[in-house]
Amino acid sequence: MLSTRLLTKRYGSLTAVEDLDLEVGAGELFGFLGPNGAGKTTTIKMLVGLLRPTSGTARVAGVDILAEPEQAKARIGYVPDAATLYEKLSAREFLEFSGDLYHVEQRLRDRRIEALLKLFDLHDRGNDFLSGYSRGMRQKVSLAAALLHDPQVLFLDEPTVGLDPQSARQMKDILQDFCKEGKTVFFSTHILEIAERMCTRLAIINRGRLVAMGSLQELRHMVGQDGQSLEQIFLELTGSREEDVSAVLRGLEE
Amino acid sequence: MASRNSPIDRVVAGLQVGLLLWRAQLQMFLNQTLRSHKPGRIAGTIVSAAIIVIAWSWEAIITWVGVQASQRAPIQMDTVHLLSLAFLGYTGVLVFSSLVFSLNALLLNPDLDLLLAAPLPVESVLAGRMVVQVLRLLLLSLVFTLPALLVLAFANHNLLIPLLFAMLYLLYPVSVVVIISLLSLLLVRFIPVGRGREVVTLFGVILALGINLLNFLFNPALRDSGFPRRPGGPASLPDVPFASATWLPSGWAGRSAAAILRGDIAVAIEWALLLLAASAAIFAAGTILSGRLYLAGWIQAVPPRRRRLPGLRAPRLTGALPLLSPVLASIVIKDWRMRTRDLAQLIRFVMPVVFIFIIFGLRFAGLRSAVQSLGEGPAPAMVGLIPAWILLFSLSISLGLTAVSLEGKSIWVYAVSPNTTLRFLQGKCWSAALPTALLVGLVAIAAEILIRPGWLWAATAILLAVAQAVAVTTLMVGIGAVFARFDWTDARRMLNPLGAFIGMGLFAVITGGSALLLAISLALASATRFPILSTWLAAMTVSIGGAVAVAVLGLLIGNERLRGLELG
Repeated sequence: MLSTRLLTKRYGSLTAVEDLDLEVGAGELFGFLGPNGAGKTTTIKMLVGLLRPTSGTARVAGVDILAEPEQAKARIGYVPDAATLYEKLSAREFLEFSGDLYHVEQRLRDRRIEALLKLFDLHDRGNDFLSGYSRGMRQKVSLAAALLHDPQVLFLDEPTVGLDPQSARQMKDILQDFCKEGKTVFFSTHILEIAERMCTRLAIINRGRLVAMGSLQELRHMVGQDGQSLEQIFLELTGSREEDVSAVLRGLEE
Repeated sequence: MASRNSPIDRVVAGLQVGLLLWRAQLQMFLNQTLRSHKPGRIAGTIVSAAIIVIAWSWEAIITWVGVQASQRAPIQMDTVHLLSLAFLGYTGVLVFSSLVFSLNALLLNPDLDLLLAAPLPVESVLAGRMVVQVLRLLLLSLVFTLPALLVLAFANHNLLIPLLFAMLYLLYPVSVVVIISLLSLLLVRFIPVGRGREVVTLFGVILALGINLLNFLFNPALRDSGFPRRPGGPASLPDVPFASATWLPSGWAGRSAAAILRGDIAVAIEWALLLLAASAAIFAAGTILSGRLYLAGWIQAVPPRRRRLPGLRAPRLTGALPLLSPVLASIVIKDWRMRTRDLAQLIRFVMPVVFIFIIFGLRFAGLRSAVQSLGEGPAPAMVGLIPAWILLFSLSISLGLTAVSLEGKSIWVYAVSPNTTLRFLQGKCWSAALPTALLVGLVAIAAEILIRPGWLWAATAILLAVAQAVAVTTLMVGIGAVFARFDWTDARRMLNPLGAFIGMGLFAVITGGSALLLAISLALASATRFPILSTWLAAMTVSIGGAVAVAVLGLLIGNERLRGLELG
């Protein structure tokens, strides 16, 4: 459903993502992890067509995102980190606009909008301007817009930021249902607990390079210690050291 | 800067915070311009500086000519009263600009929370803002008057003139800035959260309209052409007799300024000291009071109102427009909603129409009789295009150039959708050209009805106006795409200055070229005895064709720019 081959993005002398090879199958809920500035958002933006790779290829739902961007985008849903939406549109109007952009037939569009507003508990606030929405509510509208055209692959960048526990749980259920239909979810997160509980497979990226990919069990084998939590594996693979943090804090005290 | 307790310490801390903020603003300015390492920005800064130098040269030349003339033919005038009047007029500008600045600082600038969280007295933070405002006004005053002051210093052999005037520029705004800042603290109490930008925009509009209306009503040059001249009354600037009163700061500043120009430094300093004492007292009192007001809860406290769409009974655009595909229609409707629901955007749309009314409407009677005396024919029909062209100039820039940038940070919504950039631009062309062509067409129709040049000439002129409206707006959309800005938070920053400059230049070329072609067609008909309608229609065809060709070219260039866009 999703594959990249030697995907690379450079900004001048800075290499944000380097030689990334990913393979994600249909029905997978794939977690993409990494520390801040590791290249997660850059990778997702390349996969949804917002950034052009410096080199390498990426295919989404069988379509080359570089060669046939419109065809690929029609199969993609995207929820950015801290989505900026049109403040002076209501949620319903924004979803109508989004549906039209994705060529969803008007009756089907309206039916889906009502269903999605109900699903995300936004039905009563559907006619309110988005300027009055909280961050979590905007996140829900953004996810609703991403689902509206029934995509085959859903990309989410830090989808649980700003969501309350109920909404986070609701999102998790929705994503799992989505995958049960044979579709794919590719999401980045900092919250390792969520990734640990939800994902069928994981990839960890650090300083633009893929350091590990596989199921949680496979990652445990990789670091050679069964029974380790994802947090421990993550820290092990990304080179974060507790003693480094302590040394810096001691330095500040001095 | 640790927390301090005595009132004097707080005032001093306010000055320190002000200088700190001023330094940070200067650093930001330099980082965004000369230190940006972006050739375009550096070039833009150099060009802007060059424009200022040219304007300064003109100002210096005009002042020099004025000085020479006054030396040859001395005029008796009350310099104290004239300068006091100037300072009083400046007070009006100060009131509005301080209000906009203070509300901006309190409601919109994100750094207020950062400063208030620092270990500084609240009074110092608020006073620091006032200091920044006064310094900014000082800089602006110098930008506008420094060349004239330097010429006067040279002509009067008194090099202290610029320095002493700078001192007056520094002292005079203090009281106004402090009072308006305190009033703003009270005012924000009643502004709902999230509506600050709209209120600030509204004040800006009132300022712009007020200045234009006052200019029209009181400027003798405009008044005489707009209204019947008062019998026996010579054209003169409006007088405010109490402007030079000794109980008003404008009187003190006026006396000090007049004394500076006379070379009477002792008197100048006497009045300036009075101004300094009053300004210092007001600043100290304002600093303490602002803290009290803030801590007493006189800060933004009105909860945001839930803004809902009207009920389902009200007619609502459903996402369909005749002749347009759903994607194009959705862009047109979405842009229309954004432009009409956001005050800052709405003003871009409405202001040109209001200014047309101010320029032409208030002088309606005189203009009508002037153009009707032209009789029938193509020339009067062309004259009828002037208001339409002025409106087109304004709307094509405010709607066309900003059409792409209007998306702002939400551009990702379109960028991830399965549509080409050309389709996006087509939608933007429709969304900008439809209202522009409609309004320009209406103004052209109204003008031609008033002028009555003959129905055939009128119809062709209206057709030309509408076609040019579509072509020019399309061109502006293309230029706007080349210079698109998506990172703005303030609607005023949507427009790229270089893009606007190029757009204005091309507008002048297109409309000037059209006018020239039409004039040539009339001359050609007269010289060759060709039927005038043939040459007129030929000129129109070439004119419209040329505009369309340029517009298509602009659109293609804009599309290339958007195709290369990366939203990193």
